[in-house]
Amino acid sequence: MVRNMQTRLRSDIRVLLVVPLVVLLARPLMAEVAGTGALTGTVTAPSGAPIAFAMVTATSADTGEVRPAVTETDGTYQFSLPPGSYRVKFESVGYKTEEIPSARIHLTETAVVDRKLEADTQTDSKTTTPAQDQKTPPPKNPTEPSLEDLGISSTQAQGNAKTQALLDKRTHMLKTHQRLGLITIAPLFATLVPSTNAKGSHGMPASASGRDLHSVLGLVTTDLYFTTAYFAIRAPKIPGTKTRGPIRVHKAMAWIHGPGMVLTPILGAIAYNQESRGEKVHGIAKYHGPVAIATAAAFGVAVISVSFKF
Amino acid sequence: MLRKLVIAFWLAALPALAAPAFAGPDSQWVLERGTLTYHVSHPLHQTEGVSHEVKGKGVCHDGQCSFLIAVPVKSFDSGDSNRDLHMLQVTRGAQFPLVTVRTRLPESTAASATIHVDLEIEFAGHTAQYKQVPFQLETKGNETHISGTIPATLADFKIDPPSLLTMPVKNEIPVRVDMTWRPM
Repeated sequence: MVRNMQTRLRSDIRVLLVVPLVVLLARPLMAEVAGTGALTGTVTAPSGAPIAFAMVTATSADTGEVRPAVTETDGTYQFSLPPGSYRVKFESVGYKTEEIPSARIHLTETAVVDRKLEADTQTDSKTTTPAQDQKTPPPKNPTEPSLEDLGISSTQAQGNAKTQALLDKRTHMLKTHQRLGLITIAPLFATLVPSTNAKGSHGMPASASGRDLHSVLGLVTTDLYFTTAYFAIRAPKIPGTKTRGPIRVHKAMAWIHGPGMVLTPILGAIAYNQESRGEKVHGIAKYHGPVAIATAAAFGVAVISVSFKF
Repeated sequence: MLRKLVIAFWLAALPALAAPAFAGPDSQWVLERGTLTYHVSHPLHQTEGVSHEVKGKGVCHDGQCSFLIAVPVKSFDSGDSNRDLHMLQVTRGAQFPLVTVRTRLPESTAASATIHVDLEIEFAGHTAQYKQVPFQLETKGNETHISGTIPATLADFKIDPPSLLTMPVKNEIPVRVDMTWRPM
């Protein structure tokens, strides 16, 4: 009885050590993702219709950092921002630019700032964006070639702030995806290591504490995995881009580790119940281990495929 | 008589006075074909991105030639679409879609085997000057082939080094130039 309690205590201590370690590893990221405040809202036309692809920029009053966002087709936008005061600017072609001098963002709270933009009746006064400021062709000098001489029109030389904002958002989300993916490796590995305690080995029965530790780590892995996947799936797609290179392997592996990450906990739960009832693991639950290993292997290949050049 | 003389004088003098204003170039050069290749170093990667969509023109006046070369940022291909999109983002390629290179050269340098060129490069919303960059020249028939490497860095254009697995790429991004020009 006492011995059983000691074993249980040791197992609880291990859980207590591992879980904070995972949380500690995830902390810098959580500070970026979850430990921030949020700013959201809807940009609409005078008629109330949503304005898609309007440019919304939040400028920190403290650091001067500028973060861009583009409204979705339903006119909504969203920022994850560190707490502080922000100047928020709304721009869209055909509408007057509007600015809110100060929007306060509090930790873990979501500030809602909706904006109705007035129609810009003066066709000449386009909204000024950084892209329109750039590269105004210098006055034509007959002794120097110009971009027009190269067959490049002013439209081609002009930037597109909306596409840039999409690229910025995409990179930000994929960076988060990358960091979370790396963090996920730790609990994934930690889940596989004590798996022998969970099922028993060398003729020894499985230990309840081993199963518990394995289950907790598995759940942490699954949570982190699906959070990682979310940032890749929700990252904006850039129109006209064909997938080329090692990223194809990375994406292909998702078709293995994705379903694997769904199946593994389900099979694990069945195996857990069978073990808890004192039964030998049987039926489809027998495949919990092989599926988990295949999933972990596919996950590893996905990470390696974009980390090293072959 | 005097009136006829004045008219004749002005008729003779006008073309000469107007000539500097309407003078065409002495000669022109056009970029027949060319590639720009950037090289990025990362502890785990050595990557090159190539663009074949290089356009250029040179206009010569009074023995001095002005050249303009332009290439779309999005035309650089590293063989990985994800990396190319990331490159486009960090270089603000959607906002500043072109890389332009301007230089002036004496017309006589076309006969040299090696030239040292001052370059003005506009990229990612910033302009950087490079002094005395060496290039090799090789003339075959009507065509002049120019090759060399521009010692560009990310800091020159205020670009934050992108990182993979938390390790940033090196600041140096040498750009190899291979161009074939011909007179128009």
